[in-house]
Amino acid sequence: MAGGDLMSRETLRSSIGTGAAIAHHGELIQGVFKDDGGRLHRGLVTLPIAGLRSEATFARTDGDAVIVHPDHKIKASAAARLTLDFLNVTGGGVLTLQSSIPVGHGYGSSTADVVASIRAVAAALKVQLRPSSIGRLAVAAERASDAIAFDEHAVLFAQREGTVIENFGGSLPPLLLVGFKANGGVPVDTLQLPPARYDSAEIQEFGVLRALVARAVYRQDPNLLGRAASASALISQRHLPKQGFDEIAEIARRAGACGVQVAHSGSLSGLIFDLFASNLKRRAALAAQQIRRAGFQDVEVHLVNAEGWTW
Amino acid sequence: MVTVAVDYFRDLETPRLARLAPNLVAAAFPLMKLMPARYILDRAESNGELKAGSHIVETTSGTFGMAVALLAAARDYRLTLVTASTLIDAKYKARLERIGATVIALDDPRGDGNQPGRLERLQEILGKEPDGFWTQQYDSPGNWLAYARLAELFIRTMGKVDCLVGCVGTGGSLCGTASFLRTVFPHLTVFAVDTHCSILFGQPVGKRMLRGLGNSVLPKNVRHELVDEIHWVGAYPAYLSVHRLLREHGIFMGPTSGAAALVARWVATTLPDAQVAVIMPDEGHRHAETVYNDDWLATLPGWPCKEPSEPRMLTTIAPAAETQWTRFLWLRRSLDDVLKSQAASAVPSAIGAVENL
Repeated sequence: MAGGDLMSRETLRSSIGTGAAIAHHGELIQGVFKDDGGRLHRGLVTLPIAGLRSEATFARTDGDAVIVHPDHKIKASAAARLTLDFLNVTGGGVLTLQSSIPVGHGYGSSTADVVASIRAVAAALKVQLRPSSIGRLAVAAERASDAIAFDEHAVLFAQREGTVIENFGGSLPPLLLVGFKANGGVPVDTLQLPPARYDSAEIQEFGVLRALVARAVYRQDPNLLGRAASASALISQRHLPKQGFDEIAEIARRAGACGVQVAHSGSLSGLIFDLFASNLKRRAALAAQQIRRAGFQDVEVHLVNAEGWTW
Repeated sequence: MVTVAVDYFRDLETPRLARLAPNLVAAAFPLMKLMPARYILDRAESNGELKAGSHIVETTSGTFGMAVALLAAARDYRLTLVTASTLIDAKYKARLERIGATVIALDDPRGDGNQPGRLERLQEILGKEPDGFWTQQYDSPGNWLAYARLAELFIRTMGKVDCLVGCVGTGGSLCGTASFLRTVFPHLTVFAVDTHCSILFGQPVGKRMLRGLGNSVLPKNVRHELVDEIHWVGAYPAYLSVHRLLREHGIFMGPTSGAAALVARWVATTLPDAQVAVIMPDEGHRHAETVYNDDWLATLPGWPCKEPSEPRMLTTIAPAAETQWTRFLWLRRSLDDVLKSQAASAVPSAIGAVENL
C-alpha cells in the first residue's frame, strides 16, 4: 500500500497542491453484485455531474496536524492524513475546501470533498495517484464512498470496500438530466440508513442491470442506460420509497425520456434524456414544468459528458 | 462477462452464441441444465440445506440429471436419480452410473413415465436420509432464477431484445430468461415452443416422439402469463430443422434445439425489424444413432417429409401429427383462462358441426 521512498520530497515541504472533484446525482444502478468468484458485494454505478464541484487546496506545514477549513469537514481532513500516510510522508498541512455542492441530498458532497482533498495532498507532493488508490483512500476516510474518484469513467464500484467490481471500459454516453428532489427534499444521513436486504430475484436482476450498463457504455447508448436506471429505481422503491414515483415514471414516459434515476440513499431523482435526441430542449423543458407542477422541488438541469454543449 | 477466475462448470454452462440471421442470435448450450443445477446447489450450500457429504435426490433421466451428476461428483455429494424404465436407455444410465450416480429405474406399466411412483420412491429416500436434499427442478424458484445469467449474456451481446424463443419442459429456461428480460424490456414478445400431446399448454396427454420437450405433468416453473404465443412442433420438422442447423451453420444440436430454431427463424423472417434471441438447450451427441442416422430415420413412417415453411394457426387447441407445426395466440393468459375460453368456444363450434350434417 505504501507509496515508496519519498525522501526527496522532504525538500518540497513548502509546496502547495490543489485538487478538485465533481458531484454526482446519486446512482444509475445500486445493489448487490457477484465478483469473478461468485462472491456478493454491494456496488453502484455513479451518475456524475460536472457542473457542481468541490475544490481543495493543501499547503504542507512542518507541524504534525492537518488543519481543515471549514473545520467541520473532518472526513476531508481524515482523507488528507490517510493520503500523507499512504505516501509515507511525515508532517501535516492546512487543507482548505470550497464547494458548490449542496449537503445531504445525495449529491456526494462529502465524497467530493474527500476526493478533492486526496488529490490536493497528492498534488502538493507532486504525485499522480491512480483512481483505484483514490477510491480506496476515500472509502477508508468515510466508510462508504461513491465512485467519483473515477470521474465520468463508468465503473461498478464496491462502495463499502473501495474496489472496482467491473470496469466498463469507457465513459457514460452524453446525457441531459432533469433533476429534482423527492420526499419534500428532506436531507438523508447516508450512514444512518440500514443497508438494504435484497432477495434472490433482486440479486439476480442486478446482474441483468449491470449487463445493460456494460452494453450502454460499449455502444454509448443512453436508452439502455435509462432502462437500467429505471429498473434499479423500481427496486429501490421497495427499500427506500420515493413519494410520487409512479407519477414521475409517467411524466418520463410521456416526455420520451430514456429512464428515471434515483439516489438510492438520498432524496434526488432525475429524468435521463439522450443529449442528441430530437426536440430535446422542448421536451426536457416540458418535463421540468410537469415535475414542478407535480410538487417536486429544486428542479434543475444537469449535463453529463456534454463536451461544451450548453442548455 | 470477461472473467479471469477459473471455474470449469461456469464455463461449461455458458452457451456459445451464433448468429443464425441478421436479426437472430442463438444461445447454443452444451449442457444447459448446468445453469439451474449449479445455482440450486450453490444456494442450498450457502443457506445450509446442503452439507458436506449430503445425499442429493431428483426424479429425472434427462440432462438435469447429468448436470447434477457432474456437480455431485466434483463436490463430493451422493446422488440418487429416480426414473422410469421407459425413459432411460442403457447407455445413458451407464454414463450416469460411471459418474457416480445411483440410478433407480422403476417399472412403467402404463408407459406414462410413472411420475407418482417416482415421487413416492424419492420421498422414501428423503425420509431415510437426514441429510437428503431434493433439487426440485420442476418447482424450485432456483431453476428460473438461474437464467438471469442468460439474460445478461443476451443483453451484453445484443443490447435490446424484442423477441425471445425457447423450448418449455420445466419452464425454467424460457420463463426465467423472459421474466428477467421483461424487467428491462417490457415489450418483449415471448414465443414458447412445445410439442404435440404435451399437457403444458392445454393439449391432452399422449405419446410424444420428441424427448426433452414438453411434459406430461405441469411444473410450477411454467408461468403461462409470460407467454405471448405458443408453438407445437412435431418430431419431423424438428429433425429437419436440426439437420439444417448443422448443414447451414455447422452447429451440432439436439432435436429440441431444432424445434426452437425452426420457430425462431420464422419469427425473425416474419418480424425483420425485431431483434430475436433463441435458446437451444442440448447438443447432438446423444442423438447420433437416431436423429443423425439415415438408417434410423428411414424406419420412420412417412420419412422423409417436407419441412413446413410456416406454422398452421390454431384457434382451438388440439394435437396434430408428428409432421405438423402449429401455433396459437396465448396472449399472456393463465392456463385456466385459456382453457375456459377454449371450453366456451368449443360449444358453438360443436353445434355448428351438427348443423352441417
